Amino acid sequence: MSATTENQPLPRLATREVLLRKRRGWFFGMTGDQVVKYLFQGNAAVSIIVLGLITFTIFKDAVGFIPMNHANLAVYRLAGLEYVDLYREQVTAHSTMSRYLADIRARQLDILMQQEGLTAAAAMARLAAFDDFANKFADTINEQETLLGTMSDLVTAVKERQKVAEDLMVARQNLLGGMQGAAPDRAAQLQKDAAAIQIEVIDFKAEIQPVLALRPELVAANASQIAAMREIAAQAPKFADAELSRRMGKFQGFVQGYFKEVEVIAGRMAAWDQAKPIGWLEAFNAFAFGRKWVTASFWQDWYGIIPLLSGSLLIAFLALLIALPLGVAAAIYVNQVARPAEQKFIKPYIEFISAIPSVVLGFFGIAMLGETLRRVSQIPALDWVPGFPMAERLNATTAACLLALMAIPTIFSLAEDAINNVPRSFKEASFALGATRLQTIIHITVPAALSGIMAAILLGFGRVVGETMVVLLCAGNRIQTPDLASGLGVIFQPVHTMTGIIAQEMGEVVRNSIHYRALFMVGVVLFLISLLINWLAQKIVRRYRISIG
Amino acid sequence: MKATTTAQAIYGRPTSAKRIETGVFWLLRLCTYFVLLCAAFIFWDIGAKGGAVIFKSSAPFINVPFLTEAPETLNVFDYQGGKRTMGDRAFRQFKAEHEAELKGVPVETYVYSAGGIFPNIAGTVLLVLGSMLIALVLGVLSAIYLSEYATDGPFIRFLRLAIINLAGVPSIVFGLFGFGLFVIAFDFGVSLLAGWLTLAFMVLPVIITASEEALKAVPKGYREASLALGATKLQTIRNNVLPYALPGILTSSVLAIARVAGETAPMMFTAAFVMRDELPWQVQRWTEFVFQGVMALPYHIYVVASKIPQNEYTRDVQYGTAFVFLFTVAAIAMTAVILRQRLRKKYQW
Repeated sequence: MSATTENQPLPRLATREVLLRKRRGWFFGMTGDQVVKYLFQGNAAVSIIVLGLITFTIFKDAVGFIPMNHANLAVYRLAGLEYVDLYREQVTAHSTMSRYLADIRARQLDILMQQEGLTAAAAMARLAAFDDFANKFADTINEQETLLGTMSDLVTAVKERQKVAEDLMVARQNLLGGMQGAAPDRAAQLQKDAAAIQIEVIDFKAEIQPVLALRPELVAANASQIAAMREIAAQAPKFADAELSRRMGKFQGFVQGYFKEVEVIAGRMAAWDQAKPIGWLEAFNAFAFGRKWVTASFWQDWYGIIPLLSGSLLIAFLALLIALPLGVAAAIYVNQVARPAEQKFIKPYIEFISAIPSVVLGFFGIAMLGETLRRVSQIPALDWVPGFPMAERLNATTAACLLALMAIPTIFSLAEDAINNVPRSFKEASFALGATRLQTIIHITVPAALSGIMAAILLGFGRVVGETMVVLLCAGNRIQTPDLASGLGVIFQPVHTMTGIIAQEMGEVVRNSIHYRALFMVGVVLFLISLLINWLAQKIVRRYRISIG
Repeated sequence: MKATTTAQAIYGRPTSAKRIETGVFWLLRLCTYFVLLCAAFIFWDIGAKGGAVIFKSSAPFINVPFLTEAPETLNVFDYQGGKRTMGDRAFRQFKAEHEAELKGVPVETYVYSAGGIFPNIAGTVLLVLGSMLIALVLGVLSAIYLSEYATDGPFIRFLRLAIINLAGVPSIVFGLFGFGLFVIAFDFGVSLLAGWLTLAFMVLPVIITASEEALKAVPKGYREASLALGATKLQTIRNNVLPYALPGILTSSVLAIARVAGETAPMMFTAAFVMRDELPWQVQRWTEFVFQGVMALPYHIYVVASKIPQNEYTRDVQYGTAFVFLFTVAAIAMTAVILRQRLRKKYQW
């Protein structure tokens, strides 16, 4: 290598000098070996660079979310949408009661037709009194609904104008941005255009006045509504059936509760302050603890991660619940019990399962598993299972079953490794003391490998949380926090997940919009979860090494 | 084993401990085979229903149009008392010929349900080839550095940490990263290049870890002998380490191919188009080649599984595509697994 620098004949040097002389390299003073080393090192550094770039890219696009959501919430308050939403709660509460009445009616109809054997027409006739009552009751909200509609129209108009103003602002920015580097006359033209854009500055304080002016009407409407409801509730029809009487009693309780709620809401509306600033923490909390993910809505967009996070976690825990016993059992069986011939067959087989593409599994879930599970759930003998029969073909359980199959190879190979690493002497000592194979496995081998198995479980969990295609195809994609009130049946509800929402909505969002940034925020959460899981797993494995040594 | 046989010798019949043991072992066995059965069922289901699409009972025994044509919209209509199904091109021609009879006949259409999946196969192959090339170069060189040059220090520790964490990052986050950096910041657009880089980075940790393992498995004596004979470090690596580690590196990279081909999420918004009329090599200039989006098999499966209804007319394309994809990936993975099995037997130092 050094020949390249010594192509001219040099004066003969003494041996000592030759040996001690530092050889000059041919590439920036480096020898070939050094260059190659740095080349390799540079390649290795790519991993660090990529990790850094990932962190940078997704955080860069995500941090912008907080200020944008801040502005989003500020408009929500300034334009008065928040105020109207307070009132909307009251209307929603009333319609919930009407729905409850409709439910009672359906039950009564069922009783009349099934038990008393009346024809539909006769049953309807018997229900006429009840219908009259229900209709009267439903009519008591009419005034409020009208008011709500009026207020909604007022505030939406303000919000629309604000949106137009924002768009124009962006347009002006673009024009001014285009001036840089443009020819002088073109730049002048651009500036003229930019100056020509009329941007309305909305005086929210003034705009909200018509809405606030409705306050006396609201109070009057509430008073007349409460009076009317009292009167109607007193004439509630009685039922012979004990269950229905109980429900009617409950309904009366709801009515009383509603009166209180009206007061509370009226108090909150009176206390509502348009000028109250939105804190930065509030803007962040609306994401981290927000229970609504509503996008592209004409009313108000919400970006709360809770429904997605809870959906992801629900599916992941379910999948782990299935994969954990199977994966660990398979690992123990293959390593401790199976004959060598079996081992040789099972290990590659399970490794091979991990190669099944997730999208194919998802397709299998749609085409086969979902329908099969639903058919099973419709067997009358299984009605005692909570949540059966399933309402939806695609739900958390369908996705979890398939994800379990994806997690099993991960858990299996890592757990098997951990069990394999338990020193032979541990086992031999146990056998020498007269323990059976099973006793040795339960009391010696598994506890010694426990931390390795824990790490395996964690990494399996990481794999499941980060999986996209199966949940996108099979989880049902309903953006809704799983309703724990329905008990164990919650596992048969359709959910949406963090990975699923990114995959589903990323392709359709406007670049750099708040929605776009919200998706990157979700990506950041996923990224952090994966880092946390890795860190935990490593910590556990490190402790495990010490315990064995 | 010994313990129980002794117990049998003493008591003459199985002890309760032994009976419990047998029971538990059977339970474990059951769990294991249950997993294997589940996987086998998936293969069987897709194999049977998809195989019926791909294979024919008459010559040439393979559904050639499905493998060589582009996806088309399927038209279903009543004609002379029976249901007729036709791809878009054929239907247009047919309509021109039978205009009078088809007047007022309702036509149901199902996108992508006719024709074949050739552009998807081509796109997938291109994506896999390119990303594997990038990932292999980066990955193997990194592994050589880690195994042959690196001495423990903060840089190496940080590097290992980065690799481990990179391996755990969900594929959709790689997709976001690729979209944010390559597609938008570098302005590649939805293109092969963006997909290559995203997929390559995703699979990089797998290749580095596996290659390093293969390099580490080469006995130290080989290197020392070579160095003792006066070879430089590079010569040693080239002549005495790499050749012995190469089979191991190749097997793990074959497994990595299976992973790259199988991941859908990262290519969804970096490289994949739902529909594209031109084939990848039908470009004006060669520079456009890397900046074009392609159709890809996994994305196509996602689209046909979720965006079109499930019925008798769409089932063929759904199962057919899943079949082609699953069994291609499975064949690749199988090769890797078998190769690895062989190598373990062959190289035992």
